[in-house]
Amino acid sequence: SNCKRVMFVLSLLSVGVSSQPITDGQRLFSIAVSRVQHLHLLAQRFLSDFESSLQAEEQHQLNKIFLQDFCNSDYIISPIDKHETQRSSVLKLLSISYRLVESWEFPSRSLSGGLRTQISSKLSELKTGILLLIRASQDGTEIFPDSSALQLAPYGNYYQSLGPDESLKRTYELLACFKKDMHKVETYLTVAKCRLSPEANCTL
Amino acid sequence: MRKSLGMTLLWFVLVFAPRAEGTRYSPPGKPTLTRCRSPEKETFTCWWEPGSDGGLPTTYALYYCKENSDAVHECPDYQTAGENSCFFNKNDTSIWVNYNITVVATNALGSSFSDPVDIDVVYIVEPNPPERLTVTVMEDTSWPFLRVSWEPPHKADTRSGWITLIYEIRVKLEQETEWEMHLAGQQKMFNIFSLRSGGKYLVQVRCKPDQGFWSEWSPASQIKVPEYFHQEKSVWLLVTVFSAFIFLILTWLLHLNSRSLKHFILPPVPGPKIKGFDNQLLKNCKSGEVFSTLVVSDFPPTASSNYEDLLVEYLEVYVPTEQEQLESKKLHNGCLKCEGSTSDSDSGRGSCDSRTLLLDKCGEAKEDERQKDQRSAGTDAERQQQGWEGEAMAYAHEDMVSPDISGGRVKTWPSVFSPLPQFSLHPQEQQSSLEMAKQHYLSDSLFPPGSTTSYFTQPVHSIKEVLGPSYWEFSSGSKQSDLLHPHMPSCRQLQAHSDVNISRIGRKEVPPPAGLQSTEYADIQRVTQGETVLVQPKMPQGEDYSKVKGVDRDNMLLLQREGMESDEQQETNGSKEDSCTSPTVTTTKKIHSATRIRGEMLLAANGYVDTATICSQPIQ
Repeated sequence: SNCKRVMFVLSLLSVGVSSQPITDGQRLFSIAVSRVQHLHLLAQRFLSDFESSLQAEEQHQLNKIFLQDFCNSDYIISPIDKHETQRSSVLKLLSISYRLVESWEFPSRSLSGGLRTQISSKLSELKTGILLLIRASQDGTEIFPDSSALQLAPYGNYYQSLGPDESLKRTYELLACFKKDMHKVETYLTVAKCRLSPEANCTL
Repeated sequence: MRKSLGMTLLWFVLVFAPRAEGTRYSPPGKPTLTRCRSPEKETFTCWWEPGSDGGLPTTYALYYCKENSDAVHECPDYQTAGENSCFFNKNDTSIWVNYNITVVATNALGSSFSDPVDIDVVYIVEPNPPERLTVTVMEDTSWPFLRVSWEPPHKADTRSGWITLIYEIRVKLEQETEWEMHLAGQQKMFNIFSLRSGGKYLVQVRCKPDQGFWSEWSPASQIKVPEYFHQEKSVWLLVTVFSAFIFLILTWLLHLNSRSLKHFILPPVPGPKIKGFDNQLLKNCKSGEVFSTLVVSDFPPTASSNYEDLLVEYLEVYVPTEQEQLESKKLHNGCLKCEGSTSDSDSGRGSCDSRTLLLDKCGEAKEDERQKDQRSAGTDAERQQQGWEGEAMAYAHEDMVSPDISGGRVKTWPSVFSPLPQFSLHPQEQQSSLEMAKQHYLSDSLFPPGSTTSYFTQPVHSIKEVLGPSYWEFSSGSKQSDLLHPHMPSCRQLQAHSDVNISRIGRKEVPPPAGLQSTEYADIQRVTQGETVLVQPKMPQGEDYSKVKGVDRDNMLLLQREGMESDEQQETNGSKEDSCTSPTVTTTKKIHSATRIRGEMLLAANGYVDTATICSQPIQ
């Protein structure tokens, strides 16, 4: 994060130069995208490990479970198709991403030890990176509503209040939701990055 | 009545039975959703497999509900995607939303529900194969390569970053079966190297989103690589020529140094050439005498292994008490091969290289050259013999070993000559005897073929007796005493052997060996016709031995020695050199000095017999 701050400062200093902020922004975006991709892969791996460790009968049940329950980040309104996503501004995408990442900071602590150590630190770093991107893209035009960060999910303690007999169910939900959210953030960041790139062609 | 009832029943059965079988309707079987796919993460399609239709026309319906909503919706489009499919268009597709999809089959009799399937569009993306695959041969460099380029499927929106695709290429030669896979990442271009000249290649490409399934392989694109073999050929030609050149050089070097290399790799194993060890003797001897043949005195090792080096060229016989006789009786024909061999002060004693007396190579062709040497060599051998015994008995008197060698068997061919002194030898006989002796010495055969003389017969006989089966035995008795008496008798004998002119160099003259060393010990090279023992200089291992250059008229063994020590003997040289047919550089020693030296030698040597004494034997 320190490195990112330095980069941000440098980019601010070189605001006078036209191309600099964009390049730095691109670089920051690339970093953020790669980090969220990594988180997504982690979530994927954890989920598959968890599913393989379950019995066949339990796996069958999980489908039903998932249908009935929902993720803790459902309160965050986010675009769910391409059209919506492209209609959203970069800032909106960034802010949504920020909120999504932030929403997982607490629940990730309720995960098992292995996941927690790996995910928590990366989540916080990613959050910082997105914040930097927000600050960089704002250019003072809009103040990031930090207050939204305080809007914790009404079910913030949802997972912590559960009993041990439902831990299996909750673990699965947690992992599945986490995986989905990471993919969301990855998509949003990628779209935002491509939006900001000078070339129309965004694929490398 | 009953009959009619039965008939009616039968009729009913007959009529209705077939119909019942043909029209066994049932509700439809359970359909199954086989798969749902989204090509671009914006729309998706689901396909199902119908179960049995139950014999009635069956309709299928797909119902779905999204997560967090209980509203059930039906498939909006059944046709676009074909039979038994449902197509969700953009408006109906939501990403990151769980769909719960169920297919219902309905017919007149009933309906059956399929198992519900939960899908999230994000995870069912299977894009179309990449499009517009182009393969070109790039020949800018000497080695051509293939450049493959393609486009993403037109439906997939990679431009806005909505979907990120990674690509994979596979290449193979037309006739091969195995494909060569290359992962190209997100780029839309790839280079393939290491092509076979003139080969026909097939290239295919496919893609996959970061989350999802691999697409199908694109249609194969064919390309033919032009022949660039000529370039390869020139390179190979150069390489071949160069390597051949190197190879020739290496071969030539190897050939030049073949010998040294051979010695380096396979160092020559020194043969079992034991000086003084008679192989022939060993071969011919009986089992009982094997051990005696093995008795070897402590030979001083000599540097030269040359056969010729072993022979004494000059012998200076030492006769202490009869010096005057000796001096007066200078060997007239002192064809002493004064070949540059100097007799040192102490060379008088054992000029003959006693080692060499026992030639390890018996029967060699060089006998003829060394016939004369034998005579002088005989004296040496005697001394040598004494020496051997001395080693065993640790004698140390000044006198020559009194080889009470009777007890032991000394391997000396000089014993051959022990009987000789008793006879006065004709010069001819002498010569022949020498020859014989030499031959005997050399070949370990008592009767050298074709050279037996009357003179020699007796000695030969005695020799035989002495030698026994095939090794020399020192004759005991008077001879022995004569022989073994310190030099004097030998000198006497030598002197008595006035006819014997050792100094007379024989037919063959051995050229003086180069580099005569100052050694007391001399190798008997040959005994010339003049009965001069030609001694070849030998490298001394000790100062106790000197090479006998020859024997002059005075029955003086001329020892050769390098160096200036014997300068004082130069005077004697003059007299001696008269007898020398060929002047030699070496100086000979006076007998008196030889005597002295001999004594020293006797003392110093580890029982080494002074060859001079021994050699003098036959001369007399």
